[in-house]
Amino acid sequence: MKRMLENFNKAFESRVRLGIMSVLAVNTSMDFISLRETLEVTDGNLASHLRALEEAGYISMEKSFINRKPNTKYNITEEGMDSFRRHIKALEDLINKQ
Amino acid sequence: MNQPDQHLEDIKVIKKIMEESSRFLSLSGLSGIIAGLLALAGAVVANLIISGTPGAEEWYSRPFADEATGTRTILLLLTDMAVVLVLSLAAAVIFSSRKARQTGRSAWTPVTRRMLTSLLLPLITGGLFTLMTLSRVPANVTVASTLIFYGLAVISAGKFTFGEIHWLGVLEVVTGLICLLLPRWSVFIWAFGFGIIHIGYGLFMHLRYKG
Repeated sequence: MKRMLENFNKAFESRVRLGIMSVLAVNTSMDFISLRETLEVTDGNLASHLRALEEAGYISMEKSFINRKPNTKYNITEEGMDSFRRHIKALEDLINKQ
Repeated sequence: MNQPDQHLEDIKVIKKIMEESSRFLSLSGLSGIIAGLLALAGAVVANLIISGTPGAEEWYSRPFADEATGTRTILLLLTDMAVVLVLSLAAAVIFSSRKARQTGRSAWTPVTRRMLTSLLLPLITGGLFTLMTLSRVPANVTVASTLIFYGLAVISAGKFTFGEIHWLGVLEVVTGLICLLLPRWSVFIWAFGFGIIHIGYGLFMHLRYKG
């Protein structure tokens, strides 16, 4: 059990974080508003989870201006993709073990 | 909820979000069938308009907007095409919104906008190309270009919806190229491309994805 939990990533325990990683794993990049619409969460909730994932090095952020309005785009990092893959594998292993 | 149940639920959530965030899943098969039927009706009307003009047998070798064709015929043909286009688009919007409502999804999402952008860029380019060359190229080239640009637009939008849509685009492009090779059959090939292929695809998608 201990070996299997090795890949089970604590950073992805929250559903919102799982959602963010799922979206960014299949979309090349997505801005804050699109993420909020896709995941149907509040601004503050999304921002705090995005910050946590960014600090963990799993996603990267790119700020720019479109028509003088700030626009923040998020991408999954290589490290994030690897960890997310391992996390899904760990989930599947845990389910199959039953 | 105990632990294993939660893991299973996690996997389900991941799969659902991955699918719904990257693909427009509310595309309705019924709207494909309607677009196909409208195209067939439009082709019949176009054939009636053309056969009533002098030199109808050779119409495909002359430009659409030719002095010999006459302004009235050109306007009738353009109106016919515009009616088919507008009604088909309306059907797509109405039936796709309905499918979204029925499946409890929202139809207007970031991926919908991405899909429309990749559809409309080649489609508008094609529309402008067709209109700008209307008086300069033989009519069969105009007919072929509508099929080819539409096919390219569908291939481009296909990345953001069901995988089968990619092959619809490829079929339309191939049909357009064949139209260049067989100018005499332009109206029939156009009717096949926009009519028969759409009806076939619409039926297939409707049965496969229920809606």
